[in-house]
Amino acid sequence: MGSTTVGTKIRFRALDIAYIGMFSALMMIGANITSFAPFMVVGGVPITLQAFFAILAGIMLGSRLGAISIAVYAFIGLAGAPVFARFTGGFSQLLSPTFGFIIAFIFTAYLTGKIVESFSTRGAYIVAALISTVIIYIFGTNWIYFAYQIWADAPPEFTYKLAWLWMLAPLPKDLILAVFAGVFGYRMRHIIHKPNSERGVNK
Amino acid sequence: MNNTLIIGQYVPGNSVVHRLDPRTKITIIFFFVIIVFFANSFWSYAVLTLFGLLSMFASKVPIRFVMKGLMPIWFLIVFTFLLHLFINKDGILLLEWSFIKIYTGGVIQGIAISMRFFLLILITSLLTLTTTPIAITDAVEQILHPLKKIKFPVHELALMMSISLRFIPTLLQETDKISKAQASRGVDFRTGPVKERLKAVIPLLVPLFVSAFKRAEELAMAMEARGYQGGEGRTKLRELKISKLDIWIYILFICVIIGLFLTRNYG
Repeated sequence: MGSTTVGTKIRFRALDIAYIGMFSALMMIGANITSFAPFMVVGGVPITLQAFFAILAGIMLGSRLGAISIAVYAFIGLAGAPVFARFTGGFSQLLSPTFGFIIAFIFTAYLTGKIVESFSTRGAYIVAALISTVIIYIFGTNWIYFAYQIWADAPPEFTYKLAWLWMLAPLPKDLILAVFAGVFGYRMRHIIHKPNSERGVNK
Repeated sequence: MNNTLIIGQYVPGNSVVHRLDPRTKITIIFFFVIIVFFANSFWSYAVLTLFGLLSMFASKVPIRFVMKGLMPIWFLIVFTFLLHLFINKDGILLLEWSFIKIYTGGVIQGIAISMRFFLLILITSLLTLTTTPIAITDAVEQILHPLKKIKFPVHELALMMSISLRFIPTLLQETDKISKAQASRGVDFRTGPVKERLKAVIPLLVPLFVSAFKRAEELAMAMEARGYQGGEGRTKLRELKISKLDIWIYILFICVIIGLFLTRNYG
């Protein structure tokens, strides 16, 4: 399999395009998983597995394709498909202060993919997932802060520290999920490189 | 549920705004989002609000759909309004009640910023309310076309978006089916400690990933079999066309920009 696109260099095989499209659709399930399996509802707020799925995108598709699949997810959300958490979507989501997290997921997939491409022990998968979670928090919280500063002209009383205090509440839950993502990703890492016959799937 | 998800927020119709070329809409919204930040006086906000309301009424989209777009960020708007109301100390003292002091400057600033948000959300919501995600995908592909010169994979990106949009309803059904199948086998998502509940998700996630990747491989096989060769020379099912209407809207929008800059710092 190897069809060429524009130019002479092979950039995307048909299979890559299909994987990316499919994974960004999977991200949508991850964002709204609690509507199918209400396994974790913290204080009435359904949690999302977006970070979890972003980490898996990096592990399963690799750094490059994984990052692109999350970017495609962000684009279809902005184009109006209700793919973000709680079935929201639309171009106005760009103004939502939490949109920074969606962008952070792109880096997450890339970074996780890069780490597990170099180190392939189970420990490395877990460390990669944890580092990615920290990156999500740093990027997302800074985005929230600057969103308030720039779009809302927030006065200096809305401090940087305040933004961080806000974000501390969901941190333990996300760390648990990161470890889970590392372990799960390690077990699932080869799923995509095997033909169906070896995967035990029959029609 | 599935039907509403395919088309997303799109409200079908045949209004002027619906009939505009999606490229026109995206271009105008792009510039509108930028110029909103230049408004700084009563009249400049009035010009922009007039344009926003005019577009909304021309689109014939029920107001409740527009208001739904406000939901994700109403908190931001209220928070900002109150912040400016209580903290800004410019102008005349309006109200004093124990430690709360409200000045005219705070009220004006609060209203101006809330107005800015309202306009931004109104106009960006109109895009997704009057255009299907697929039409937006096509338009983005056309707008980004020049980037092909620098080897940016415009066509591939649009194709990935279309594939993703196509498979969202399928995967939703699949997830629903798997979760019911596992529930009938006795998987319990709702009770037990966190560790047990996380374990309960595994029988849902594994079949979901396996079936999604299997579908992707089948799709790729079908593409190969039909000789998929990337963007060069491919024809389109839906062709985009700039009409006279689009040109008039561009002219109107340029008038709005001129109007905004004439009324800045005025009144």
